[in-house]
Amino acid sequence: MIEFLTNFLSTYGFLIVSMTFSAMLALSLYLPLMTGQLSLASPGFYALGGYIAAWMSTELYPPLATGTTFPIPSLFVEMLIAAVACAILALLVGVPALRLRGIYLALATIAFVEVLRVLSLNLDVTGKAIGIFNIPQPFVTKIEYLYISLPMLIVCIIFMYRLERSRVGRAFRALREDELAATAMGINPTYYKVLAFMMGAILAGMVGAVSAHFLNTWNARQGTFDLSILVLAYVIIGGSRTFWGSIVGGMLLTALPEVLRAVAGIQGLPPFLTGFLTEGRLIIYGFLIALGTLFFPQGLITPEFLRRFARPPKASTPTKSKPLQTPST
Amino acid sequence: MSNVVLQASKLTRMFGGLCAVNEVSFDVLEGEIFGLIGPNGAGKTTLFNLVTGMTPPTSGRLTYRGQNITGLRAHRIAALGIARTFQNIRLFGNLSALENVMIGQHLSATTNTVSSIVGLPASRREENKTRDRAYELLEMVNLLSKADDKARNFAYGDQRRLEIARALALNPQLLLLDEPGAGMNPNEKAELSTFIRQMRQQFNLTIVLIEHHVPMVMGLCDRIAVLNFGLLIALGNPAQVQNDPAVIEAYLGD
Ligand SMILES: Nc1ncnc2c1ncn2[C@@H]1O[C@H](COP(=O)(O)OP(=O)(O)OP(=O)(O)O)[C@@H](O)[C@H]1O
Ligand SMILES: [Mg+2]
Repeated sequence: MIEFLTNFLSTYGFLIVSMTFSAMLALSLYLPLMTGQLSLASPGFYALGGYIAAWMSTELYPPLATGTTFPIPSLFVEMLIAAVACAILALLVGVPALRLRGIYLALATIAFVEVLRVLSLNLDVTGKAIGIFNIPQPFVTKIEYLYISLPMLIVCIIFMYRLERSRVGRAFRALREDELAATAMGINPTYYKVLAFMMGAILAGMVGAVSAHFLNTWNARQGTFDLSILVLAYVIIGGSRTFWGSIVGGMLLTALPEVLRAVAGIQGLPPFLTGFLTEGRLIIYGFLIALGTLFFPQGLITPEFLRRFARPPKASTPTKSKPLQTPST
Repeated sequence: MSNVVLQASKLTRMFGGLCAVNEVSFDVLEGEIFGLIGPNGAGKTTLFNLVTGMTPPTSGRLTYRGQNITGLRAHRIAALGIARTFQNIRLFGNLSALENVMIGQHLSATTNTVSSIVGLPASRREENKTRDRAYELLEMVNLLSKADDKARNFAYGDQRRLEIARALALNPQLLLLDEPGAGMNPNEKAELSTFIRQMRQQFNLTIVLIEHHVPMVMGLCDRIAVLNFGLLIALGNPAQVQNDPAVIEAYLGD
């Protein structure tokens, strides 16, 4: 049993950690979407966060003695700096860009991602086309990255859970439902849109910082337009009306190619099927996404779906009363 | 003499070559129910959009309690205590009735963004207060039993009442109602009139009301302004307006 577990973790360690990253990247796109902004900028901030961590750990910090691992506190510092840099950049980009709506905003944010990519291809500090490699490792095995990514994801879940129930989250959703009506309620659209955009940028930047270590190298192929579309698929397939959709979508779609690979490895399958499952993985992937949008147009996880698991709604006792007392035991 | 709450002077709004509101000037007095009538396309809704900052005026000036509010953005105007409903109901359709009314209380919060997300005790208390207040307002418009239902699933009349509850949630001093009686039968309109008077009493409101049904306007309003093709053609108490030749012309002549 123990042996199976260690085998499993060493085989799938990379995948499991990737799944947590994907879930958080999906959240970083979901946050601006909460205010109705279709922003595909997350990969740009992800790339920036990654470059900051890659540069700091290879150029700024003293080289590691052989046999030692990269100190975790230094990683935290990188994440913090990535977060601050992404917040500032999001503010600078967000204030003008968020005047655009719908598909125009999507295009502008794709352009933003592209500009960052071309910059990173041409700057010395980002290592041009080669990128930055030999990024020091804080852990010996990949699965240990869960010590960082899992607490991050849990904090994200708590944060999102609180956010959706708070006055700020309600303002976000009001803007998404009907911006004009929201302003009539005194909601400042610019403030809340930029706030949501910045939250997404900070999260993407921090994920990028950890990812740079995780992937060992960082270059212009990280955080491109492809990733924009992939992350959008996470959110759309998972369901874009509750943050759980982003998490489930990110995790499932990241695991899917591996599952297909595993299925192809089953003994005794006809050769053409094995061939198709290994060679045609991307086709199947695309096909499943298309089916998903057809049969679950709202995404897999909807607020209605979640309500089935929720505690029964509080009896709406009206008025004047203090908050409901839970029966004492 | 009562206080002037809202003053429009030479307010104008052009849409391309079309003058939707044309040099309109009037005062709305504290505590009155001020009717706004006129044929379709006369510019009534545009006038509401101007007052609430949703459409900037082409020229002219708007004053609220002596303060110049011309060109102020909509959320700033809401913060001054001006609330409205919409002719083509604009609820937050995917949210519950309760959430709609809670969002209406957005401005009454005293705790900040961070505290609200983290859920500090002060914010939690505020959250409970907001919820209780929302239930109270829903009870007032007879929608308490539907508090948890999605707004978009409401019947038309319920949506209108929910929109009024949401507007009241702002604790406004000036309330603009754009055809609140649309689609109601005469009985329901009579009930609505009673309800509007009650609201004014209970919340110390000044109300501006757009309504096509002449008997309702005449019975309910203290003063009435008549718009036609963007122009203010009459202003006065119901009896004056009813007998004004220009008004008769606008409504009967072609
Ligand atoms: N955003 C806009 N762009 C262009 N024209 C507009 C716009 N809003 C209103 N108009 C035009 O301005 C004129 C006045 O419209 P408005 O909606 O204010 O009329 P109304 O008095 O509210 O009419 P109704 O009784 O039908 O509601 C109309 O001719 C309308 O077509
Ligand atoms: Mg109108």
